[in-house]
Amino acid sequence: MSDKLLNLTRRSFLGTAMGGAAALAAGQSFAAGKTLNVLSHKVHQTVLGTGDGDLLKDWKSANDADVSWTTFDSNPLQDRLFREASLSSTDFNVGYMVDNRPTKQIAAMFEPLDAYLQKDGIEDFEDIAPGLVQGMTVDGKLIGIPVRHATQGLFYNEALLEEQGISAPPTTLEELAEQAQKLTFTSKAGTPVAGMVLASDLAVFPVMFARAFGGDFINAKFELLPNPEAMEKGLSVLRKMFETGALPRSYATTKNDDQVTWLQQGRAAFTVLPFARFAQLNNKEQSKFPGKIKAIEFPISADLKGKMPMSSIVEAWGMVIPANSKDKDLSWKFIKEVSSKSATLGMAKNGNGPVRVSTYADPAMSSNPVAAVEAAVLKNARGAFPPFPEAARAQSIFLEEVQLAVLGRKEVKEAVASIATRVKPLLQA
Amino acid sequence: MRLNKITEAIPFLAPVQILILSVIVIPSLYVIWLSLNASSFGQSATFVGLDNYIQVLSDPAFLRALGNTVMIVIFAVHLELALGLGMALLFASGLPGRRVLLVAVLAPYAVSEVIAVAMWRFLFDPDVGPVTAMLSWLGLPMLDWSFEPSHALIMIGLLTIWLHLPFTFIILYAARLAIPKDLYEAARIDGATPFDAFKKVTMPLLGPAIVVALLFRYIFAFRIFSEVWLMTQGGPARSTEVVAVYLYQEAFSYNAFGTAAATAWIMVLASLLLATGYVFLLRKQVAGNAH
Repeated sequence: MSDKLLNLTRRSFLGTAMGGAAALAAGQSFAAGKTLNVLSHKVHQTVLGTGDGDLLKDWKSANDADVSWTTFDSNPLQDRLFREASLSSTDFNVGYMVDNRPTKQIAAMFEPLDAYLQKDGIEDFEDIAPGLVQGMTVDGKLIGIPVRHATQGLFYNEALLEEQGISAPPTTLEELAEQAQKLTFTSKAGTPVAGMVLASDLAVFPVMFARAFGGDFINAKFELLPNPEAMEKGLSVLRKMFETGALPRSYATTKNDDQVTWLQQGRAAFTVLPFARFAQLNNKEQSKFPGKIKAIEFPISADLKGKMPMSSIVEAWGMVIPANSKDKDLSWKFIKEVSSKSATLGMAKNGNGPVRVSTYADPAMSSNPVAAVEAAVLKNARGAFPPFPEAARAQSIFLEEVQLAVLGRKEVKEAVASIATRVKPLLQA
Repeated sequence: MRLNKITEAIPFLAPVQILILSVIVIPSLYVIWLSLNASSFGQSATFVGLDNYIQVLSDPAFLRALGNTVMIVIFAVHLELALGLGMALLFASGLPGRRVLLVAVLAPYAVSEVIAVAMWRFLFDPDVGPVTAMLSWLGLPMLDWSFEPSHALIMIGLLTIWLHLPFTFIILYAARLAIPKDLYEAARIDGATPFDAFKKVTMPLLGPAIVVALLFRYIFAFRIFSEVWLMTQGGPARSTEVVAVYLYQEAFSYNAFGTAAATAWIMVLASLLLATGYVFLLRKQVAGNAH
């Protein structure tokens, strides 16, 4: 019998192969007629839900289309998107672009969307935060529709604050530094706690500290270090925190994901993260302190309190259509759907930073404890730095000098002067 | 079968030639072309001559990365060779439980570099790492790799040795097993001590295998990337950056394809230069064996 089973003839092999191919081809007839290929970060896909909670369910059946997602981490995503857009043609119909990338050269690779907006408008387009729309407008042409923002807030572990006898979170930057120092201790549970944990590979954090003193790295007018003394003050606070152990010894190798883990495990009392991380930080299955991790606006310095608002950092994402892609009408329909009021609200419930002002006022958002503070912070928030061709290199130089200053390998004043000298030629270029 | 015309011979040679052309020659020529142009996304290539090479070679960050790479290569490859040789001789001397130990020695080669780095990061975490805790319990200084650049480079060197030791070991062990026992017997009868036998029999006969292992490891070690990128990302303040990380940053963070391509060619030339001595030694040995 086994001989018979192994007796594979050319005829039976070809028959099986053809039958298999036919079955696979027939399988296609059950799928949607069209496929829209989207290039994004995983989070952009996740917030649109799956199964019964799929926010695109009706859109897919109405358009007889399926959505195929290809996801990457932020930097590799931008690299792949630009690589695809620079080819003679691409299979990707829609891409997600972060707002510090669209320079004039990059914008030229994507479809201007003004004509689409006029012909087949997005529901209540004026409701989308104008600042975010501006971030996706290059030389007067709209190249992306805002879809998500990540506004930075100060997160703190209320349980650890209480353990150290601190009744309220800080209201000024000086109080934050003081509390972080007090919260560098070994907790009752025996965990060594660092006052604050920050990643050292993102410009967001040192820029926030500089802004608390009224300074900046590069402002919207492309002025480099518009207030160098403020940057020096901000970096001095970080340096002192490192010297006293309030910033952990591993500061130079700490990454964004570590911030989440450290806060969830009670290894740090404060951190700076997007408000959208609130649910994850308080997730019962991941966090040792569910319900105890709270968020407030990052505090401004005592000297500026009440005189000017704190300008926190916001990073926004927009949906773009590569100029070399096919079926742009379907791409626009997708963008229109994802930008609708209902989809924006649905995504916000799933942890997305909503780009529509009205979403925050929706009763459904009242269950989100940080929605109100996030909306207030968003009003004055702006990007870490504006887009320009050498922005990534400028950020890298900035971070190198910041690390040298914080770790005590260079005087703060000297580091700030170096930033000015080394970044200036990149801005001029 | 005699082929009279070259056109008749081409189809027989074509598969190999096409493969080499498409996988090595054309991409290499394209990288040379890229290195002579300034280009980025959304910007057409502009011929700049050797400017990219000058820019890279005059960048202090590149020179530091090159220095770090050379240091890691020299330290890691030679220490790895010494360890691999010692272990090969130990195994060949009839170690008890050799099969189990062999699996243990070869195991790191089966571990993904990403997982290995994640594991080492956890083990040597300066705050909660078990190895750090053990060193502290023993009263020994910790490896402060997240703060001290020199410690970070030592950590990277140790990790790369741990990951690649099986490669060096297996080459040397196989070569050692291939040495006929008669030679050792003859040496013993002639009154040679174990050290004499090692010096006069083992080392000369292991020579070709040692050179091959060194050559391969020099080339592999020169392109070290994942250990550094995943462990320190080249920090603190770019102090542990190596050439492959520098290249990655130029190409994929700054999208400067011209300088990235120039870096790639400098990297090829530097690694060849570093391995030149061993290449000549290998040629000499090959020529010697041919006579």
